[in-house]
Amino acid sequence: MKVLELHNVHKIYNGSEVNVHAVNGITIDFEEGEFSAIVGPSGSGKTTLLNMIGGLDSPTEGKILVDNTDLSTLKTSDLIDFRMWNIGFVFQSYNLIPVLTAKENVEFIMNLQKRPKKERDQRTMEMLKAVGLGDRANSRPAKLSGGQQQRVAVARALASKPKFILADEPSANLDSKSTETLLDIMEELNREEKITFIFSTHDNRVIKKARRVVTIEDGKVISDENKQ
Amino acid sequence: MKNLTLAWRNLWRNRRRTLITVASVFFAVFFALIMRSLQLGSYDYMYKTAIESYSGYLQVQQQEWWDNKTVNNVFRYTDTLEKKLLQDPNVNGTIPRFESFALAAYGPTTKGVMVMGIDPVKENMLSGVADKKVQYRLTPEAVAQIRSEASLPKKTREIVEKFEHVSFTSKNRFLTDLALDPEKDSDLLPRLARYAKFENGDIHMGEPGAWVGDRLSQYLKISIGDTLVLMGQGYHGTTAAGKYEVKGIIRQPSPDIDSKVVYLPVDIAQQLYNAPGMLTSVALHLEETGDKLLQQTAARLAEKIPDNTRMVDWKEMNEVMIQQMEADNMSGMFMLGILYLVIAFGIFGTILMLTTERRREFGVMVAIGMQKKKLAGIITYEMMMIGLMGVISGMIVCIPIILYGVHHPIIFKGELAHMMEQYDFEPKLVFEPVNKYFLWQAFVVGIMVLVSLLNPLRKILGMKVVNALRA
Repeated sequence: MKVLELHNVHKIYNGSEVNVHAVNGITIDFEEGEFSAIVGPSGSGKTTLLNMIGGLDSPTEGKILVDNTDLSTLKTSDLIDFRMWNIGFVFQSYNLIPVLTAKENVEFIMNLQKRPKKERDQRTMEMLKAVGLGDRANSRPAKLSGGQQQRVAVARALASKPKFILADEPSANLDSKSTETLLDIMEELNREEKITFIFSTHDNRVIKKARRVVTIEDGKVISDENKQ
Repeated sequence: MKNLTLAWRNLWRNRRRTLITVASVFFAVFFALIMRSLQLGSYDYMYKTAIESYSGYLQVQQQEWWDNKTVNNVFRYTDTLEKKLLQDPNVNGTIPRFESFALAAYGPTTKGVMVMGIDPVKENMLSGVADKKVQYRLTPEAVAQIRSEASLPKKTREIVEKFEHVSFTSKNRFLTDLALDPEKDSDLLPRLARYAKFENGDIHMGEPGAWVGDRLSQYLKISIGDTLVLMGQGYHGTTAAGKYEVKGIIRQPSPDIDSKVVYLPVDIAQQLYNAPGMLTSVALHLEETGDKLLQQTAARLAEKIPDNTRMVDWKEMNEVMIQQMEADNMSGMFMLGILYLVIAFGIFGTILMLTTERRREFGVMVAIGMQKKKLAGIITYEMMMIGLMGVISGMIVCIPIILYGVHHPIIFKGELAHMMEQYDFEPKLVFEPVNKYFLWQAFVVGIMVLVSLLNPLRKILGMKVVNALRA
């Protein structure tokens, strides 16, 4: 079942002297439960593509359908709600809310979704244990290592049970061991929760773990390799 | 996580900045409240002094007398009218007055004076004129003797010269001005009194006799037992002339009045001006003086008084003073405005820094599902909390100071006090009790915070998430 479809998506940035074609007519779709990596050199358009998939940016041309909903038809506030219910984000630099504890960060989206406290507490602890941080629930981000923070970010993204998770260079700031642990956790959660993961990366460790690798260059898909 | 909790925690991310901003609001509120309390308190005190020492809250006057104070603008004051006035439930007493002008002479010296015909007993209900009799006077001889009195403290002997020709109506003020403590140094009073004590007498209805203003008496070089000659124009063009023994010297706080006032018993003043049974005004001693009750009382009495008279309230009688206070109030408000403007820029700077440095975080929050309005709400809470902390702490510190000040006004002493008196100011700063002006400060700071928030909120509501995430 397709959770994400991109039809002839373009993104052009209007520069003062020359227009930049960051994404150039990409058509691609992702199935439920995929563990995919979008790879390519710097400036190839990976992050722009991920931003558009996540509804953070809009395409200049083309259509993006998430679970059959065309993102371009949604108003700003509806798009925010749509993201909250359907898309999880893992950012390169963790981006946890510094004044909240690990537990509060994880339950933040569920709080916005107004889920019952009991459900929130149960799901939060479940996710923190899944990422191996059950004992650090009350620690604030400043007290956690980079790897631990990224694991909390993964738990936050997964806690609200989104349709898919977009992870933009999730291992960029992590050492080998932390990357290994994080990837194992994400792979396990992907299997258990059937949540689609889409990474943008140029980290070989991530590429190795991915079951599908989409390579883009100059804003175009140049290869789409399914390892399964 | 409640928005308020999140806002509260955000405040303490940069503890120092929050505390500095709170402190700036605190000091603004503190100084504004103290300044406002002193200003409003002083206005109230001046009104009260003017009303209770001269005009009263309500007077019955001849129709034209207030605008044209000639001896012909008088009215007949009868027992019937007195009874009508006293029948009103809000009137406790009547204070009859006959005011006019005359030329006063003693020996070769003359001066134009204001003659106040009063009932010495009734007048005391309102203006307490008998309490203003001079008790001590530092004549050049008294000063010389005090300076050479070795048993007195050195400081007293040094500064006494500065008070030459100054009179005092209370022993406390006398001792304080001479650098002595009224409680601890009261044993020194008899030694000072030996040189400076001033014996005064009373005036009585039906008995010719005068009280003379302290400065006027010194100008005329007249003293107790001397005879003052008054000459002027009487009722309907008659000649007003009379001579009166000086029974006492009165010291009025206002130098202007003090240098020209002569008090006579009202019936003696009527004789002088050939206007028996006539008065220029009757001040009323009232039970309740609230604005609404005052208007009701004036309206009731207006129907009972003769056609050639009218009711005049304190506002009309103190119009110039009210205008001066309003002008002063405006300048006070202007100063407060400047104070608040400085603080407003401080708050604006904090909000601007706070929103700029957290732009990426805002982007993340909106990316993962927080509505921009909710985010704007959190920032609003944060700034309102800063404002409230500053306002509440400012108020908490101010309340005891003001409450203390209400019961212990700041009284200036010595030279400064006399200098203030020269300019017709009573050397006293009075605090206004805590009332609605306190709430105004909270309101103003609230508005300031909201106005400072407009630009940052506009930025948050129009934020492009992708750009914010790149910040």
